[in-house]
Amino acid sequence: MSELFPRKQVMGFVFSLVLTAAALTVYFLDVSFAIGMTILLVTAFIQAAVQLIGFMHAGESEDRAAIYMNIYYGVAIALVTIFGTLLILVWDM
Amino acid sequence: MKIDNSLPLEYGTEQNKLNILGFWIFLGAEVMLFATLFATYFTLEHRIGNGPAGAEIFELTPVLIETLLLLTSSFTIGLGVHAMRIGKKNAMMTFFAITLLLGLAFLGVEIYEFTHYVHVGAGLQVSAFTGVLLTTLGTHGAHVTVGLFWGLFIILQVKKHGLTPATANKSFIFSLYWHFLDVVWIFIFSFIYLKGMM
Repeated sequence: MSELFPRKQVMGFVFSLVLTAAALTVYFLDVSFAIGMTILLVTAFIQAAVQLIGFMHAGESEDRAAIYMNIYYGVAIALVTIFGTLLILVWDM
Repeated sequence: MKIDNSLPLEYGTEQNKLNILGFWIFLGAEVMLFATLFATYFTLEHRIGNGPAGAEIFELTPVLIETLLLLTSSFTIGLGVHAMRIGKKNAMMTFFAITLLLGLAFLGVEIYEFTHYVHVGAGLQVSAFTGVLLTTLGTHGAHVTVGLFWGLFIILQVKKHGLTPATANKSFIFSLYWHFLDVVWIFIFSFIYLKGMM
């Protein structure tokens, strides 16, 4: 039975729950907007990395270089789109 | 068909490897789809017109239940892929079935949440904010719905054909899709709900 619950996956799940709890501090504690956003950015991106590397096995095949390049490219374009939009339409710079 | 037995079954053939790489590229495009939705959301989140603001309609309990359901389902499908790799077909099908049940429960809570929003006057056409909120959540929910049917067909194929390079490859690719939905939800949870309630 225990062979069905590999340590790496169980640890990844527990770590995800801890990160979710950490993100919840912005709701339960009275934090400023800047500190709250910092906490959320850190917990969200770490949790995404746990999923991609721990659960999705991004780095285990011989195509790992292409897969990682694809992830970096997708994330880079996503960040440019989101922060570019914020820069022009919200922050008005 | 040349099968390389040094690798997990789902990578066993050249076609299988290309399928997995191709699916990663598709997920890259999905990242962009959600990035544009998030960009639109951040632009319009304060354009509430005469409708309610996020802080007035978001409730922590259903959101937390949805988060835990999806997080756990992402864990169980990971266990399903692990069971598949050690050749335990029944355990794998059980884990996939649990995953789909958790996904179904998630969808149930999300449908409750949507009807609740409409009841409190935050329907799709009320303001720019409610429009982009429900579009973003709905796009994710539509992906989960597609995933439920996809996963059901995967389970039926594994049941019928057993664990072959073809069915293992399809199962693994489905697991990538399902983990990706959880990744998207992490960002929805953090930057729509928690940011809105902060």
